[in-house]
Amino acid sequence: MTGQILWAIFMPILVIIIGLIYMGLARKITARIHNRYGPPFYQNIIDVIKLFSKKDVANHGVMFSLGPVIAVAGMVISLLFIPIGNRPLLSFNGDIIVLLYLLVIAPLGMALGVGEGANPNGAIGIARALTLMLGYEVVLVIAAVAVMIHAGSASFMEIIRQQQGGVAHWFIWPLFLSALATDIALQAILGEKPFDQPIAPHEIASGPMVEYGGKFLGMLQIYHAIAIIVETGIFVNLFLGGGSLVWWFVKSFAVFFVALLINAVMPRFRIGQAFKFYWTYPAAIGLVGLIIVAIT
Amino acid sequence: MMELEKEQAVVNLVKEAFEDAEADVQRARRVRIKIAPNRVFPLVAFLKANGFNHFVTITAVDWIKDGEIELIYHLWSYTRKVHVMVKTRIPRDGGKMPTLKPLFNQAETYERDVHEFFGVYFEGNEKLDRDFILEDWDGPPPMRKDFDTRRFAAEFYGQEDIESDLLKLKIQPYKGKLMQ
Amino acid sequence: MAKERPPKGLKGWAQGRSLWILQFCTGCGAVELPPVMTSRYDMERFGITPMATPRQADLLLITGYLTVKTLKRVIRSYEQMGEPKYVIGFGSCTVNGGMYWDSYNTIKRLDLYLPVDLYIAGCMPRPEAIIEAFNRLIEGIKQGKFNGWIRYKENLRWYKRNQAMIMDIRKWSIDKKLAEEVWREVQEERRKIFEQATVPHVYEYAERISEVG
Repeated sequence: MTGQILWAIFMPILVIIIGLIYMGLARKITARIHNRYGPPFYQNIIDVIKLFSKKDVANHGVMFSLGPVIAVAGMVISLLFIPIGNRPLLSFNGDIIVLLYLLVIAPLGMALGVGEGANPNGAIGIARALTLMLGYEVVLVIAAVAVMIHAGSASFMEIIRQQQGGVAHWFIWPLFLSALATDIALQAILGEKPFDQPIAPHEIASGPMVEYGGKFLGMLQIYHAIAIIVETGIFVNLFLGGGSLVWWFVKSFAVFFVALLINAVMPRFRIGQAFKFYWTYPAAIGLVGLIIVAIT
Repeated sequence: MMELEKEQAVVNLVKEAFEDAEADVQRARRVRIKIAPNRVFPLVAFLKANGFNHFVTITAVDWIKDGEIELIYHLWSYTRKVHVMVKTRIPRDGGKMPTLKPLFNQAETYERDVHEFFGVYFEGNEKLDRDFILEDWDGPPPMRKDFDTRRFAAEFYGQEDIESDLLKLKIQPYKGKLMQ
Repeated sequence: MAKERPPKGLKGWAQGRSLWILQFCTGCGAVELPPVMTSRYDMERFGITPMATPRQADLLLITGYLTVKTLKRVIRSYEQMGEPKYVIGFGSCTVNGGMYWDSYNTIKRLDLYLPVDLYIAGCMPRPEAIIEAFNRLIEGIKQGKFNGWIRYKENLRWYKRNQAMIMDIRKWSIDKKLAEEVWREVQEERRKIFEQATVPHVYEYAERISEVG
């Protein structure tokens, strides 16, 4: 019990640091793809230190400052539902369904905060984020249902247990179509190109973050760091069989790496195109996968 | 001359319809027309009806010795491939021109531009008094020849040294031959 | 109240190693920045990244000449940035007007209107010069040398007066009361300059130019 409590305190800190290093590595890898040298891998940790040492810039009210806090809190709660390295914290039968609900808290918190900022760019960004969410959530849920039917359980730990015993037992092989659909959805969940419409810096000046600076932006960086781990973690637990702590993070980075490579070479869709795309191809792939699982 | 046929055709066309217009061919694809200020509107309307449907811009020249401002309306025809300059002169002080907005909408913007920089008043242009490029400008129109730009820049922006430095330099004119 | 000082130690180090820039792309300096960002010179090595809004940025780049109309927007952007903030002026246009030294609507010395921390000489400066300037800025920030925003706050009235001389600052300042006061103060002087702007003699320019040679 004491071990669990300590892990619950220690794990988010670890995840924040690793998430920030992921972001730094992402910048480095993107730079190498662009034939540049790139920043050091710990650049995002420096950024966060700087942002928290800055004075507050502008504050538009209570909800404005609460927005990033709600976003981070929502992400930390989601994180507690994800077993990292076979260490369950809030695991029970049905936690996948709860997690799918909890993932919505963070964008809604952002929406509340941005609403008080009253910047049109922020409002457009949030509108795009929620529209895009409507697009990829359908795909994600279809894929998750396929996994749950295949495993006969809605618990992460049970699903991970069934995938033990080598690469051949991973669900990515029997549920390849669902895994593919989830990976396409992951591109939008992570906010990578071609689905980064919510924070398109060249069109709407970084969208929801437009009015945030200093400490608030630091909170949003931390939010993003946790979000990367949570979102790749879902894929790792559902399809790649979890694993021990180090192995788990290696798998999670591998998932992130694929998204990164696509991000580095792609332009951006319009929001309408992205939405239409999600409700046609990945949804169709996911449905076919679901039907195959239901028949066999 | 054979190669100036299409330009000559435009000149003849204008001369037939407007007897008071002085029209000549400047060079290939360029036609100049001089006309009185009150005849500009019908002339431009006539040109528009004859294929000159691109109203390019309005420019102005300050002929300070004559006490006149020359307005030049540039039109281009995509079918005839000829650029026509309609020139007219109005008095420098208190001169007025009718607006061309009923013919071309974009004329409104060009007229605001000329109004701000040369102080020409265009009758019928409703947006003329709004700030366009020079915001909070209380002085004379800056593109008129009697506007002392250097002195104004030095006083307004606190930059008095550059000009006097330049005068102090006493650059000797080059006396030798530059080219054989 | 203790005098405000630029950050030092860990804060200063982090501030220096993570400069987020707001490019105010006026003039030709905007064209020099893409090479600085991309693979040839790559400023992201030093943690310098372009940012979309003034709220997120630490470093304001004035990349060339500023007309009065643009200066208003620059001042708005500068006042929205979070402290600590720094300004770099690119090219001779921000030093003394450069090739626009006798223009009626471009400012001559950026220093009069905004606290510039660093100038890069040249017309325009090459990317090497820009990288050199960034390196000096980073070193200076780490040691707590640059204090532009503190100068701006301490001498706000002087800066506002200079700004009011050339533009209507009432719409463009965050401190409305001060702006109103300063604006009323400079009216007389402004009017005098505008009145004297017209010369009766037509050929004064020609004479003066022949004097120069």
